[in-house]
Amino acid sequence: MNEILVKNACVIDPIRGINGDIMDIAIRDGRIVESVSDRAEIIDAHRCLTLPGGIDSHTHVCGTKVNFGRYMSPEDMRAGRTRRHGRMHVTSGYYVPTTFGNSYRYSAMGYTTLLEGAMAPLEARHTHEEFTATPHQDMLANTLFDGNWAVMDAVREKNIPKTAAIVGWTLNAVKGYAIKLTNPGGTEAWGWGEDLTSIHEKVPHFEVTPSEIITTMIRANELLRLPHSVHLHCNNLGKPGNYQTTLDTFDLVPDLNPDRQTLYATHVQFHAYGGGTWRNICSKAEDITRSINSKPQIVMDMGQIMFCRTMTMTADGPMEFNLHCLHHNKWSNHDVELETGSGIIPVTYSKKSAVNCIMWAIGLELALLTKNPWQCLLETDNPNGAPFVKYPEVIGLLMSKRYRDEECATLHADTERRTSLFALEREMDWHDIAVMTRAGQAKALGIVNQGKGHLGAGAEADIAIYPIRTDSVDPAREYRKVVEGFQKTRFTIKRGRVVSRDGEIIVDGANATFWTNALIPEDIRVDNDPEFIRRFQEFYTVRMSNYPVQDLYLPRGRRVDTEAFS
Amino acid sequence: MRVILESKVRKKPNIPIEAEAIIPRNFLKGTDLLVYEGNKERTLSELFWIFVEGTAVSPENIEVVLKGDTSRIKRVGEYMDTGSILISGDIGMHCGNFMSGGTIEILGNADAWLGREMRGGTILCRGNAGHYCATGYRGEKKGMQGGRVEVFGSAGDFCAEYLAGGEVHVHGSVGDFPGVEMRGGQLIIDGDATRPCANMKDGTCVILGRVHEMIPTFEKVERRVIPEWNITADVYRGDIANRGKGTLMVKTAGSE
Ligand SMILES: [Zn+2]
Repeated sequence: MNEILVKNACVIDPIRGINGDIMDIAIRDGRIVESVSDRAEIIDAHRCLTLPGGIDSHTHVCGTKVNFGRYMSPEDMRAGRTRRHGRMHVTSGYYVPTTFGNSYRYSAMGYTTLLEGAMAPLEARHTHEEFTATPHQDMLANTLFDGNWAVMDAVREKNIPKTAAIVGWTLNAVKGYAIKLTNPGGTEAWGWGEDLTSIHEKVPHFEVTPSEIITTMIRANELLRLPHSVHLHCNNLGKPGNYQTTLDTFDLVPDLNPDRQTLYATHVQFHAYGGGTWRNICSKAEDITRSINSKPQIVMDMGQIMFCRTMTMTADGPMEFNLHCLHHNKWSNHDVELETGSGIIPVTYSKKSAVNCIMWAIGLELALLTKNPWQCLLETDNPNGAPFVKYPEVIGLLMSKRYRDEECATLHADTERRTSLFALEREMDWHDIAVMTRAGQAKALGIVNQGKGHLGAGAEADIAIYPIRTDSVDPAREYRKVVEGFQKTRFTIKRGRVVSRDGEIIVDGANATFWTNALIPEDIRVDNDPEFIRRFQEFYTVRMSNYPVQDLYLPRGRRVDTEAFS
Repeated sequence: MRVILESKVRKKPNIPIEAEAIIPRNFLKGTDLLVYEGNKERTLSELFWIFVEGTAVSPENIEVVLKGDTSRIKRVGEYMDTGSILISGDIGMHCGNFMSGGTIEILGNADAWLGREMRGGTILCRGNAGHYCATGYRGEKKGMQGGRVEVFGSAGDFCAEYLAGGEVHVHGSVGDFPGVEMRGGQLIIDGDATRPCANMKDGTCVILGRVHEMIPTFEKVERRVIPEWNITADVYRGDIANRGKGTLMVKTAGSE
């Protein structure tokens, strides 16, 4: 029996409605309990800010795409080097660090759960291997279905149960957690050298539109009763004038689930551009947030960019090709058989670029203009907008108008005219930040029932204690202290063990991988469908029997069963 | 002041020594420097017999002389900004990395990565240089940005890759892909070269010997006399595959 008592914690636990109470937290064998014996190890929090462990609901840290980013940028391995010491492996890299680099840095910032934003089903083994090597966070994998041939066929047939059966079988086979659609239809069109410019344009050879894919997948997702909603990277990412596509997409979304959103729209900053060219691009964050504020069925994340050198990586191959034509830098492009694709290019966000400054402003506008913080989560689409180590700065910017003003004074002169950021007075409070960095994520991902994102009895003992005294720090003025405080916890506790102390990792990790298992009726299971099997054998380069990821790839897999079709 | 470092006989002479501490400036404060032999930290005196002649008040008057078997010593002269280093034999990889001033002279051969990401100063190699002579680091967009590297023997593959500034002169021949991805600066090869200047963006490359497997995406502009080389040369522009504006001059066979 392993017991810890965290004393004098200043707890903000939005899911349980606790906002700054000084209390003790009892932990036994990895879970939070009502009380522990007097033999428990005592950790004195000294009234410091104590939150449920951080949850990243959209990051790219594991898998073929991330690893190809590493291949492509050996120069990045000159940064972020740390020696092996104690329990810590060597690390290197800044925007595409080694897996241990990612895990240690996330842990130092108090993060205990990560959702990998895009796993190509065919390449799932690589993702799971890297999950195992990211040992201090529980992992979940968004699974790409944007160009899945079988799905598109079922969508064309308007057959929601069949769509659900394909998704359910695939998630089970590749040990995925949720449905990810990246530029739905567009990535498949790119396989034929084309892209789609509207959600009502047909995918070549499949005769389905992005809007049909999105709406059918939303229905299939709910039919499978998956814990997370459809996770969407909208069409037309990064194109001036794309906000109209985003608004049209939001208008497609019904409200189907009382417990969570029906659509998770990711990195919306990249989808909120007005104008028609790079010369007249402007912010449409007000239009986007007006839509979000009237649609509780949608949750988005910011997709904040920060000024730095980083790597963009996405399943959105055509978008990366367009960016490559702009920058003439190195570029990779990849096609994943019947499923999806990807592209990778390095990028430097600079204050000298009006476009970059406007992008930076839009991310903050989205957060500040969304009334309900549960609907706009704090992410940078790591590493696309910025490496996740920049989150504390984003928090500082959201909490301090003065910090924003100081930054704004250093930006390209066009920023004020083409965004509304300079006029926004809102300063977020500690509770808002707790929602936007863990509670909101837990609810959006549907993992509150798994004991994530809160500190109630029975919850997983994932806790972050920051060296911040909320009673004495004024975030509006002392934003530097806020940024520093969120960079390094006093203690990060993962499943009842102190894993990180003052930024130093002190134990070997033992994370879990959550995946969903939808129970699908025998008569519609695709592995009983001769036509599905025939097409699989005909078009894939692997046999259907070799496709599923073996259990040994998930040494600590946690299956989440769903009552599909009930 | 002259500092003479004569390498001691080692039990395992193949273990590389990482000696970025060996730059003239560091000897202003004495010879108490640390280097690595494999993964073991060593003092300089564990690996070298050290002789100091004279004194110096400023680093530009310091000459470091390396003697004995120095072929496995890496990173000598890294970040060197002044003074001089004379190597009487061969030198290991990465000699003169990031060098910004001063002179390194190697009487023997240099291993790979000689003068990598150099910014200024002079490197003279009397023997041959290995691969990646006067280049950048993997993945970076700019290689050598200034200074001069002169190799009196031949150089290996990828000589002056990503060259962005300064001058590289190889008196002998070079291997495959010299001047690939050049951004600027000048590369002169007295001998032969294979597939020169692929994806060149800017800068000038002059080849006085034979070119094997000329890259097809170079556009011939003219044939003219080049007075400074006293030759007739075919002048090409490229690499036009990526809208490059570099100049590649190849001596016309038989012209003098
Ligand atoms: Zn993403």
